[in-house]
Amino acid sequence: MNGVKTAENAPLLEVRDLEQRFDVSGSLIDRLRFSGGRVSAPRRIVHAVNGVSLSIRRGEVLGIVGESGCGKSTLAKTIVKLNEPTAGQILIDGEDITHHDFTQMRPVRRKMQMIFQDPYASLNPRQKVRDIIMEPYLESQGGSVPDRTERALALLEKVGLGTEHLDRYPHQFSGGQRQRIGIARSLSVQPDLIIADEPVSALDVSIQAQILNLLMDLKDEFGFSYLFITHDLSVVRHISDRIGVMYLGFMVETGPTGTIFSAPKHPYTRALLAAAPQLGTKLGPATEQLGGEVPSAIDLPRGCPFRQRCPLAFARCAEERPVLVPVGGGQSVACHLHEPAIAEPAA
Amino acid sequence: MTESSMPRPGNVTTPLLSVKGLRTWFHTFGGIVKAVDGVSFDVAPGEIMGLVGESGGGKSMIGFSIMGLIDPPGRVEAGSIEFGGRDLARLGEDEMRSIRGKEIAMIFQDPMTALNPLYTIGNQIEETLALHTTLSARERREKAIEMLHKVGIPQPEQRLHHYPHQFSGGMRQRVVIAIAMIARPRLLIADEPTTALDVTIQAQLLRLMRQQVEESGTSLILITHDLAAVSQMADTIVVLYCGRIVERGPAGDIIARPRHPYTRGLIDSIPHETDIDGAKRRLSQIPGNVPDIRKLPPGCAFAPRCPRASGLCRMQDPVLSEREGTGDGQGPRRLHATACHHPLTVSP
Repeated sequence: MNGVKTAENAPLLEVRDLEQRFDVSGSLIDRLRFSGGRVSAPRRIVHAVNGVSLSIRRGEVLGIVGESGCGKSTLAKTIVKLNEPTAGQILIDGEDITHHDFTQMRPVRRKMQMIFQDPYASLNPRQKVRDIIMEPYLESQGGSVPDRTERALALLEKVGLGTEHLDRYPHQFSGGQRQRIGIARSLSVQPDLIIADEPVSALDVSIQAQILNLLMDLKDEFGFSYLFITHDLSVVRHISDRIGVMYLGFMVETGPTGTIFSAPKHPYTRALLAAAPQLGTKLGPATEQLGGEVPSAIDLPRGCPFRQRCPLAFARCAEERPVLVPVGGGQSVACHLHEPAIAEPAA
Repeated sequence: MTESSMPRPGNVTTPLLSVKGLRTWFHTFGGIVKAVDGVSFDVAPGEIMGLVGESGGGKSMIGFSIMGLIDPPGRVEAGSIEFGGRDLARLGEDEMRSIRGKEIAMIFQDPMTALNPLYTIGNQIEETLALHTTLSARERREKAIEMLHKVGIPQPEQRLHHYPHQFSGGMRQRVVIAIAMIARPRLLIADEPTTALDVTIQAQLLRLMRQQVEESGTSLILITHDLAAVSQMADTIVVLYCGRIVERGPAGDIIARPRHPYTRGLIDSIPHETDIDGAKRRLSQIPGNVPDIRKLPPGCAFAPRCPRASGLCRMQDPVLSEREGTGDGQGPRRLHATACHHPLTVSP
């Protein structure tokens, strides 16, 4: 580990009540509607991330799981400021970067790098590998050409690529090798935090295992933290220390990996775990199978975002939106059934 | 044919589909791509067979070959596809058309592109019946409503008049399943049917597909890269690597006692539950990459990545040889076959 560095327990990344909304109403002309004899121009707002709070300590891996459209990728992009957050706060090492502009973000990007899902779209096809992987370094430190070559060679070796690949172009590589290049790029500035958005979901299983092992080895060697975003429960379970489960832009449950898998509390987490295919077990009858589908993020349901699909929903769920409350053991749940007043008052 | 009363795969049944020595090659400027290279398997009536492998394994091309959907520069070079007493590899386009949709139906990965955006889903469901039956328009409509109901689409009477874009991804795949199943085909080929969908929707659809094929006695070939999903559904599993079968046998046997190092590697690559007992263990991984199928190494295609490879493996192609499956059942359908010079021994 990194030993003595600032306050040992201060979180490396802290996100408070982050909101990310997108206006998708289009131009004024697109929005014009006649209703009741009057002209109106309603706005359509996508509520992608709704009041998410999280923190990551040094050397920790936080996994974020959820289905498509739950806002997990938007959350990642907002944290690295590829989106301008609508509300809330983002702190890196205690520094508030919520309203940093491009120039102010430059030194911050040395601490925080991102690995993207699509190894084909995330590498510039007209750049050589050496230029791709040294770009963040060039931007932040500069360095001489021989210095950069030396660093590039060392990085290639770290990610398991031969030095002969230095002057090749992305199209000469397979998906797994491209993802290694993307990882090398993120390592070039020796960041403290790597945000990985579905880094293995575009890869075949055998390659997926190689990349997961590489990510874990690098973390052990350099001691950085991951915010690991994925829809794959077996992957998140393998790699994370703590897990956050998202649904419709809300964080519905967080906790240590072991607890989330052995004692999930939120009905959505339970259903998600039950739905994940298990190797070698026959598909049984639907026990906690979810009906229906994720509602639209444009018109958020009143009350609990999950209530229309929840087998346990009751009257209060339609009225009042549950908030994330600690239930002990580092686990927090946003569900009326698990609020301390209702669930096991004796405990 | 009383396909509705077909039994689940038992000891004695003549296969519904028998593929023998199938070779589907693509003649490209870069060389011959042997996408499918000498593949043989049988599918019994009512059986669910899983076809697994990584990208480039040739699993989709087997499905397309059975459906007669291989276009130039691809060609079925050799082998036979016997189905109901006919060899599909020798049939003309007109004859194939009378089989496609009626006796063999296919579900594709992407429900967005499998449906025509310009027609209502009612139109698209009825089309199959209009082509293959003599039902009146009214009867077809009734059947379509009944089918939509069966695949779990609420308010089928109204939904019939809706267009594909008015459905979500999961609902569209239900429509595609309805189209595939409405003529009660004897064989359904599902090519990565749930890959584009979320896990909660995937579980719904796999249950739905299994229930549909069980009700009508249809055989199912489930093509997927997801070994866990296949192990939940299939009676038998066929594992492909670089266009060839490396292992074939009863599903439980393949998962619990794989003999081919590639199958073993695939299974171990999936993060298992047992991995997490406090310390994070490394996943066991298959080194290297899938080779370029135009320049396969001599001998076994898996040898360069195989921990057990010997000199023999690099010179001589292993043949698929059958051994008795362990324990469960008798008869030829229960055989566990492996194409490996040094198969893993079965631990008791």
